[in-house]
Amino acid sequence: MSDRAETTVGRVAPPTAPHLVCRGVKKRFGGVEALRGVDFEVRRGEVMALVGDNGAGKSTLMKVIAGAYSGDEGEFFLDDQPVTIDTPYDAADHGIQIVYQDLALCENLDVAANMYLGSEPVHDGWGFLPRILRPLDDLLMEKKALAAIDRLKVRTLQSVRGKVGGLSGGQRQAIAIARAVGADSTVVLLDEPTAALGVAQTEQVLQAVKNLRDAGHAIVYISHNMADVFEISDRITVLRHGGNVAVYETAQTNTDEIVVAMTRGIDKGAPNAA
Amino acid sequence: MQPDQAIKTEAMQIKKASTISWGQRFVMMRESRFGAFGPVLLALVCIWAYFGITEPVFLSPRNFYNLFMQSAVVGTIAVGITVVLLLGDIDLSAAATSGVCAALMAVLVTNVGMWGPLACLIAIVLGIVMGTTQGMLIAYIGIPSFVVTLAGNLGFQGLMLKILGIHGAINMRDPFVRGITTVALPPALGWALAVVFVAVFAWFSLRRQARRRAIGLELDTPTALYGSIAFFAVLALAAVWTLNSYRGVPLLVVLLIGMTALLGWVTTSTPFGRMLFAVGGNQESARRVGISVQRTRVAAFGIVGLMAAIGGIVGASRYASVSFNAFAGGPLLLEAIGAAVIGGTSLFGGRGSVWNALLGALVIGSLGNGLDLSGASAADKLMFSGAILLLAVAIDALSRGGGNGGR
Repeated sequence: MSDRAETTVGRVAPPTAPHLVCRGVKKRFGGVEALRGVDFEVRRGEVMALVGDNGAGKSTLMKVIAGAYSGDEGEFFLDDQPVTIDTPYDAADHGIQIVYQDLALCENLDVAANMYLGSEPVHDGWGFLPRILRPLDDLLMEKKALAAIDRLKVRTLQSVRGKVGGLSGGQRQAIAIARAVGADSTVVLLDEPTAALGVAQTEQVLQAVKNLRDAGHAIVYISHNMADVFEISDRITVLRHGGNVAVYETAQTNTDEIVVAMTRGIDKGAPNAA
Repeated sequence: MQPDQAIKTEAMQIKKASTISWGQRFVMMRESRFGAFGPVLLALVCIWAYFGITEPVFLSPRNFYNLFMQSAVVGTIAVGITVVLLLGDIDLSAAATSGVCAALMAVLVTNVGMWGPLACLIAIVLGIVMGTTQGMLIAYIGIPSFVVTLAGNLGFQGLMLKILGIHGAINMRDPFVRGITTVALPPALGWALAVVFVAVFAWFSLRRQARRRAIGLELDTPTALYGSIAFFAVLALAAVWTLNSYRGVPLLVVLLIGMTALLGWVTTSTPFGRMLFAVGGNQESARRVGISVQRTRVAAFGIVGLMAAIGGIVGASRYASVSFNAFAGGPLLLEAIGAAVIGGTSLFGGRGSVWNALLGALVIGSLGNGLDLSGASAADKLMFSGAILLLAVAIDALSRGGGNGGR
């Protein structure tokens, strides 16, 4: 087994203390203010749903956290330590991984190759060659890929040697998630992971997300599907017009309240809500 | 449950529920590591069988020797073109590039009196520069490769004519350059090389299997493992036996197989190779994982330039002269692209192998050679070549499930 397979990422911080905190995140595209000072937090071992109507700024916030966009203003803290996130590499260095809606897998490569794309392990002892020309350690890749997929408990995947092109949507989603997890991440951002999936496959992905949560990852879950949000999330952050509306405990709210907050906002406790 | 156990039981369940259609089986076979050889090898066997029956001299060792030599230039360039095809790009200037490099080398050796190896080295460097320059225009300025290399093709044709001067052809008598295609290895050395080749292949396969067992990964089936070793052993020994009964294994064949092995290894077993396949398969995903799409593209075009230059030197050596029609003006470019495609490399990127390009070159070479022997006209040859190309691409499209717009 892989050395990481048995160890969870651990609850280093107390469960109630936030792991990742963003304060006053602003992002402007030309004249459009996509994010006008958003606060956001997520704890370890928690699924934080991020909801809002189209154009509320969910995806923008996610991309700022993942470093795909660099925010115009805003502070980020990981376990109370201030960090800067300007590029995807910064985010990856801090253990923040994003799974995009379109997954970005190479269908012509096998599962193991996809999971380690861009950071393939190479054999030792070829130091005289530049790194990109050293022989791949594909067996190590295969072993680690199996371990990562095993952690998500995706039982329908028989082999990591098959091409991704031959897999179902749910399996691909699981591989994209496993790729994010395989990179020593503590924060996993999921953008509409079940949008294109059938019932059984959705169940599979939600189960994988629960397994991740139970392993102590901090998970941010964007979705339009209220049923999924209420099944999987522990808390719900509602955004509207690029600002915060409120944060709800999932157990103490209901779909109607969330939908109203998404579409009309609430008057109190939401200084940025329009 | 341990993961390997889980995999085993699941694999067994799959075996039980074995309702796999022939079509799927064919696709699965194509996806396997050596299975991709299938169609092009089958085409080669069919062509050899057909001409072997109609023209018995076709299967003589002497003819095989000539066949390998004839296919070498196309094969070398096709191997290079395969690398850019993997990216989903194309290089229409490869033949003209090889013409320019050959012409420069010929001028340096014949007119300037330069030492042969040095002239070859300069030609190779020129080829790499020509390739990377085009690659930079494609990668950083964003001009489609079709356009850049089409312009390159025209420009390089003109450049070649300029270098050749008013005579339009330069004869090659340099012993080093000629030696590349005239030297044949002594029979004993040929056998030794074949044995070493097979032993190395077997050692790598068996060691890999042992490592798989040690780590606890699913194993290759013994049929596949020993079958592939036996297959390569038979192939290598039969080739050496055939060539030894004429003049011995040509040095050129050894060089070509060595270069292809090197490039094959780079494209399949290194992070750089993964970059090529990733960019060809899904450029956006490659970019997101931090692969520099631009640099990958420039490097790929550099490799085409390198292989084109080597092809030019081989051609100059083989024809004992450098003339416009033998390179830029002739069918060399389309034969090289055809060889890569017949080998099963996708024009849309992400699928293919340099070894298959070599086999594709042999298919085209065999067809030309066989039709020449049976006294076919130039018209027949062209039509046959077109039909074979179409057939190869059709087999390729069908093997991928077909109907998806030819991807």
